Amino acid sequence: MLNHLLKKLIRNHSGIIRMITSRIGLGIAVFLLLTAIQIQSNYHFLLNSSNNKDSIADFLVINKILDNNNLSNTKLDQDLINEIAKQPFTESVGILTPSRFKASIQSISDRFPFYTDISFESVPSDFIDVKNDQFSWDPNAAYVPVIVPNMFLDIYNFQFSISQNLPQLTPAIVKMIVFKLTVYGKNGPISFNAKIVGLSDRISSMLVPVEFIRWGNNYAETKSNNEVSRLVLKTNDPSNAAIVSFLKKYNLSTNTEKLRYSKYRKVIDAVVAIAGLTGVLMLVFALIIFTLFIQLTISNCKQEIILLITLGAAPKQLSKFLLRQFYPGNLLSIGSATLLLILLQYGLKIFLEKQLIFIPSAISWITLITVGALSFLLWIVTKKAIQKHINA
Amino acid sequence: MHFKLNNVIPAILADRPSVRISGIWGQAIEWKKGDFIKITAPSGTGKTTLVHLLYGLRKDYSGEVLYEGKNIQLIDSSELANLRQLHWSIVFQDLRLFPNLTARENIELKRVLQNPIVRVEQIEEMASQLGILSILDQQSMHCSYGEQQRVSILRALMQPFDFIILDEPFSHLDNANKKIAAALIEAECKKRSAGLIITDLDKDEHFDYQVSLNL
Repeated sequence: MLNHLLKKLIRNHSGIIRMITSRIGLGIAVFLLLTAIQIQSNYHFLLNSSNNKDSIADFLVINKILDNNNLSNTKLDQDLINEIAKQPFTESVGILTPSRFKASIQSISDRFPFYTDISFESVPSDFIDVKNDQFSWDPNAAYVPVIVPNMFLDIYNFQFSISQNLPQLTPAIVKMIVFKLTVYGKNGPISFNAKIVGLSDRISSMLVPVEFIRWGNNYAETKSNNEVSRLVLKTNDPSNAAIVSFLKKYNLSTNTEKLRYSKYRKVIDAVVAIAGLTGVLMLVFALIIFTLFIQLTISNCKQEIILLITLGAAPKQLSKFLLRQFYPGNLLSIGSATLLLILLQYGLKIFLEKQLIFIPSAISWITLITVGALSFLLWIVTKKAIQKHINA
Repeated sequence: MHFKLNNVIPAILADRPSVRISGIWGQAIEWKKGDFIKITAPSGTGKTTLVHLLYGLRKDYSGEVLYEGKNIQLIDSSELANLRQLHWSIVFQDLRLFPNLTARENIELKRVLQNPIVRVEQIEEMASQLGILSILDQQSMHCSYGEQQRVSILRALMQPFDFIILDEPFSHLDNANKKIAAALIEAECKKRSAGLIITDLDKDEHFDYQVSLNL
C-alpha cells in the first residue's frame, strides 16, 4: 500500500519517453561493451581450443637475416634461443639440426635418372606435420625416410619435368620411388636406400630423422660444431604483433606470409577497440543521462518528498522505493543486451561451424562477470544518485 | 519519555521584547510523556516556531531542545524519521496534506509509513465520528479547510506516539466539531499513555491540561 501511494506521489512526474530512451541507450551501450569483450573471448578461444589449434597455431622457421655484415655468422646463440622460448607468444621451440656431412642422392631406376649432392635437416617430431610412424631410423633400417617440401614436388612437376621431358609425378608415386642415398665419411662412402614418406608445407627443408643426422654427423667425423642457425617456433597466435616486433628487434627473419594474420589481427583489434570504446562512452553518457533523469524526477516531486520526510518517511525508505522504481528497468536493459548477445553468439557458432571454425555456443564467463559488474555498477550509481538528491 | 527545553531562543525572535517575558523562551522546561500541555499566545509570538523546533523542523535557535536527553539538533535523518514514525505525531497549522491524494490516501499513507497499529475499519469509524466519512474518497484539495483540518487530525492519530503536537488544530472547526475532535484525540492519547502539546490563540477547556504556559 505504501508503495502504491508513493508511486502515485512520485511517479506522476516521470517522463516515460525520456525514461525509455535512456534505457534503450543504456542497453545499446551495454551490448557494445559486451560484444567487444565476447569477440576478444571468442578470439582467444580460437587460439587456445584444441579443436581449432591446427587451424590457427603456426610454425615459424626462424633464422638471422643474412646480409653483408653477418655472412658466415648466422649462429643463433643459446641466450637468444632462451629469450625466444620465454616470449609469451612462444608455445615451444625446436632446433633444426643440419647435416654436417656430404651426401648425395641418385635414382636407382633408369626411368627417372637423377643425381644430386644434397643436405638434410632434422627437427623434433612434434614439429612435423606429417604423421608417419615410419619416420625414424637406425643403422639396420631398410631405408632412410625423408620428408620433402611440397614446393619441391611442384617445382619438379611444373618446371623441371617439362623442361627435361620427364613424366610428372603424383605424391603417391613419389612415395613409391626408392633412391640411393650416399653419405661420405672418413671410412669412405656408405649408401642407403631412401624413400620419401611425406610431403610437408610446414618446414621448407629436406627432413630426415634426428637419429640419421646424428649418425651421419658422427660418421663424417666433422669437427664438433653444434651451432644452431635455424629453429622452429611453434606459436599459438601467429597474428600476435609482438612476434613481428621481436623478430625485428633481434634481426631475425621468417616466412612473412605466415605473419599475415598479425595484419588481420590489427584490424580486428581496432574494430573491437572502437566497439568497446563506443560502448564505454555510451555507457558513461547513459549513466550521466540516467543520473540526470533521477535528479529531474526527484526535483519534480521535491515538495512531495519534503512533506513525506516531514511526516516521518525515512530518506532510506524513500531511497529504497526509488531504487525499486529505477533499478529493475536498468536490469532489464542489461538483461536484454545480454540476451541479444547470447542469441548472436549462438547464431555465430552455427554460422562458423559450417566453415569448420568452432566457437562456444554460450557467452564466456568473462562476459558474464562483466554483466554482473555492470549490474553492480548501475546499482551503485542509481543508489548514490538517489541518495544524493533525496538528501539534497 | 520527555522533552526538555534549555534556554531556547529562536533566532528570528531573539530581538523581540516579548521573549523576555515568555514562559517558554529562555526558560528551562521539562514535559513528560502523559502530560497535557497548553501553550497560549497571540499571533506572532512564535507558536508555530515552537512546534517546528520541537518536531525537529527548525534548527535556527540558541539553547537546547532535548528529547530523551538527546539534542534534537544533532539527531541524524534516520533517527529523526524513527521519532516521527513512532514517538511524535503532529497536526500542522497549515495542515500539509497531499493535494493530489484523496483524504483516505492521506490518512492511509501515515498509517502504513510504519507498522500499522490502526486497523483499516477504524479509519472509517473515526472518520465517521469526525463527520468526514463522506469526503474520504475526495481529493483533499477539493475538501473545505475545516474538512482538511479533520483529515489532518485523523492522519495524526494513525501512528504510535508518545507526544502529539497540535498547532492550532481546531482553528476552522465549529464548537461541536472541536469537542468531538478533542474527545477523539484525548481517547487516542490515553490509549497510548501519550502526552499532548497544543498551541492556540486563546485559553480553552478542550483537554484537562496539567501544564498551561504563555509563550
